[in-house]
Amino acid sequence: MVRTFRDIPGVEWVEGTGNFITIDEEKCTGCGNCLKVCLAECYEIVNKKARIRSMEKCMECGACWYSCEDGAIDFSWPAGGTGFRTNWG
Amino acid sequence: MVEQYDVIVVGAGFGGPVAAKQCADSGLHTIMLERSKIPGEKVVSGLVIPVYGFLFGPEFIREGNPPIERPIRSVMNRFVKNGEIYASDHSLRLPAPFTVGYSTYCKPFCIWLADRAVDSGVELRTATTAVDVIIENGFVRGVITDKGEELRSKIVIDAGGTQNNLSLKAGIRKKFVPEAIELYMIWDFEMAKEDVDSVFGNSMEFFHAMPDEKIGAPLGYGSTLYFFTYRDSIHPGLGQFLVTEGKIPNVAKLLREYFDNFTTKVRRWREDIAPKVKLRAVTWDVCPIYAGLIPEMRKMPYFGNGMLIIGDAAGFESAAFGDGVPSAWFSAEIAAGVALESIKAGDTSKAFLKRYGDRVKADPFIMHTITDTRRWDMREVLKSKSENEHKKRIRDHWGIGAFRYKYMGGPCLKATGRSIKNDPGIIAKWPEMFRRYYRNWEENRFDRLSTD
Ligand SMILES: Cc1cc2nc3c(=O)[nH]c(=O)nc-3n(C[C@H](O)[C@H](O)[C@H](O)COP(=O)(O)OP(=O)(O)OC[C@H]3O[C@@H](n4cnc5c(N)ncnc54)[C@H](O)[C@@H]3O)c2cc1C
Repeated sequence: MVRTFRDIPGVEWVEGTGNFITIDEEKCTGCGNCLKVCLAECYEIVNKKARIRSMEKCMECGACWYSCEDGAIDFSWPAGGTGFRTNWG
Repeated sequence: MVEQYDVIVVGAGFGGPVAAKQCADSGLHTIMLERSKIPGEKVVSGLVIPVYGFLFGPEFIREGNPPIERPIRSVMNRFVKNGEIYASDHSLRLPAPFTVGYSTYCKPFCIWLADRAVDSGVELRTATTAVDVIIENGFVRGVITDKGEELRSKIVIDAGGTQNNLSLKAGIRKKFVPEAIELYMIWDFEMAKEDVDSVFGNSMEFFHAMPDEKIGAPLGYGSTLYFFTYRDSIHPGLGQFLVTEGKIPNVAKLLREYFDNFTTKVRRWREDIAPKVKLRAVTWDVCPIYAGLIPEMRKMPYFGNGMLIIGDAAGFESAAFGDGVPSAWFSAEIAAGVALESIKAGDTSKAFLKRYGDRVKADPFIMHTITDTRRWDMREVLKSKSENEHKKRIRDHWGIGAFRYKYMGGPCLKATGRSIKNDPGIIAKWPEMFRRYYRNWEENRFDRLSTD
């Protein structure tokens, strides 16, 4: 299955990525850096902890992973052939 | 099942295919893994590849017919205040067929590169993510794919781009600090070729402004808003560092705001551009632009037992211009050469592979460009707020001053001398390349891609 979104034209998302970004709740201090750098609005803060809201528009840039000063975010790649793709990069 | 190769190249972006092709041309049994289904589908970039990459990079690119969007012959710098252009610097411009660079979409260009690697005998496996490295006795001996396969090799070349997981897993590198990383947002607009021709010509255009204009990051903390011009589209983008003035601001919100401000306030956009364009795509990605300016990042190794790291994965992006394709190509060629020597010598130890590090350091461009402080130093203008100083610095950065010996002039001269020494015939091949690339563009005729 392939998904598209009107607010992000020209990009498609192929399903089946698996959980390629995870948050370690123990380490998260709820600073919110991940929210501030994520153009795909993947994160939310619930009970002072970051939580993944939705990965559906993630462009796999890793800005959240780089900005997480607590080392709470783990970032790997989606399964081969899944995740975002574009003809216009 | 275990498969044995001489070399595994991870990533078929801009650098990987160059390394893989050269390895295969030297007779090494080479496989290239790419996580996307088609090469280049996951590469988000500017993209104007500066001409020094073509002149001094891989011969097969210089002598080939890769798909380019537009030969870029000049840089138009616009200085904006209250939405109006109050000054321009167009000092850097060249007559056809000479160029400062070539614009291109990542996907066709990366397919073209991967095709050349495959032509040379590289086994390309797409839709395959390398999820981990195999380590034995302290040596990288291969990778594990997302399908659980073990692929073994004497050397692994990590060409995985900025988010270089594998060299982290191998314990060779650490992730980039956020001060080194710029988040870019890019818009792609369709625009009729005649309109691109009349509005921009073969220029790329930059909009420089003081921070209170709010059409870009504070000076030195991001790239100004640029318009790269393609055949029948334009590709504006802008970026900001994850850490700006010591803090992590709401970069995601700011990038959108800058572009909104630009499109609502700046007359050049409203009157000359907006009526002629249609939004086609929005993308974003990060770049390790300041990796070479932060000592702890610059000093991180780019090789270890059984592993060589090239391109963005090694932090080889120009700190002044944000271009990384030339250094991905240069480092790919150096890595392939060293891989061959180490396999022949039967020694893939870090001590042997140190020659990769030495040659990267001796390259005329790589170290020079990753330690170029011209963009970083724009922070001085934030303090002085002097328009004259701003203009002077831009002229030295994106204008004719870029060719001063201490900036790009010196490395270009050194590379010219070196190239001629290796192959005197290159003197004729350079103008021939300019002419052929220009003709290809005018006729809109490039090599067929395997996906066509
Ligand atoms: C917004 C932006 C603008 C830029 N503008 C310019 C410009 O104008 N000019 C210029 O020269 N440079 C520019 N650059 C930089 C340029 O894009 C990079 O320097 C260049 O792409 C680096 O090449 P690379 O081979 O190191 O990595 P990439 O080209 O990023 O290729 C990496 C490849 O590896 C694949 N991959 C990664 N990990 C794995 C894995 N584990 N398994 C399998 N496959 C994997 C990826 O899918 C990708 O295809 C820009 C970059 C950005 C983000």
